[in-house]
Amino acid sequence: MLIPRRVKHRKQHHPSRSGAAKGGTAVTFGEWGLQAIEPAYVTNRQIEAARIAMTRHIKRGGKVWINIYPDRPLTKKPAETRMGSGKGSPEWWIANIKPGRVMFELSFPNEKVAREALTRAMHKLPMKCRIVRREGGEG
Amino acid sequence: MSEVKLTAEKRTEFGKGAARRLRRAHKVPAVLYGHGTDPVHLALPGHDTMMALKQSNTLLTLDLGESTQLALPKDIQRHAIKGFIEHVDLLLVRRGEKVTVDVPLHVVGDAANGTLVTSELTTLSIEVEATRIPSSIEVSVEGLEAGARILAGEVALPAGSTLETDPESLVLQVSLPDDEGAGAEAAEGEAGAEAAEAE
Repeated sequence: MLIPRRVKHRKQHHPSRSGAAKGGTAVTFGEWGLQAIEPAYVTNRQIEAARIAMTRHIKRGGKVWINIYPDRPLTKKPAETRMGSGKGSPEWWIANIKPGRVMFELSFPNEKVAREALTRAMHKLPMKCRIVRREGGEG
Repeated sequence: MSEVKLTAEKRTEFGKGAARRLRRAHKVPAVLYGHGTDPVHLALPGHDTMMALKQSNTLLTLDLGESTQLALPKDIQRHAIKGFIEHVDLLLVRRGEKVTVDVPLHVVGDAANGTLVTSELTTLSIEVEATRIPSSIEVSVEGLEAGARILAGEVALPAGSTLETDPESLVLQVSLPDDEGAGAEAAEGEAGAEAAEAE
């Protein structure tokens, strides 16, 4: 599971969810990509689940790239606790995803299998996504 | 590669307000520069520009009314979600002038059974005459066995072009596919590396 080894501040404010992605909006490494079309916080568990869904479907003969990293901690106060007494303890690690961001990339020779693999990954993610192809690629 | 003719108008008002008004009128703000000339701000027809720029390195013939200019797209800004063209940077070229462009690589043929072709480069940088830019460069992997590698210097280039990319750069390699476990381990390794970067 993706998790930072060391961070400057253990507890952070919630990252901003407004706006669109400033970079990483095009497929760069592979032939296919999974692009977010809604903002969301994607946890390291969701990233791992999506990766496993993809790699298990393509079995052999492909390559997967993960372009996002869960570098922001989210905290949670325990249940049935009175307000106050400081900020809760870190509970999740999330990547702050904005619309347009290409989160995963895939290189696989068969288009049908590649699309199915990305669709399976999409089902593990908390936002609407779409499959995009490398610009200047075939078709 | 074929030339595409576009009718361009010179822009007289600038800034985000003017640019947005242009886009609402289905036009694309653009700028034309090169050869030490002053930049010329243009408005291009939206749909025609989008169709022309579907292929990389399309040579554009710009009809500016009093003159005609040849230009190559240098930078295309697209909307992150909707994908429409927000702005185009055009580089002025002259007929017969040599330019350096990135041309997409197209892998053709089938490698030996049970092998995996991994592309390391998706484009090659070549120096070529502006009017003779190829739409793609073909790399044949027909019958290649596992362990075969193709370097940039080994790719057959179109006549009249010279390679700008390092000839020792790896273009593609043919290997035996890893099983899923190995793939997962590799991904974990990458994850570790990324974690180290995050520090």
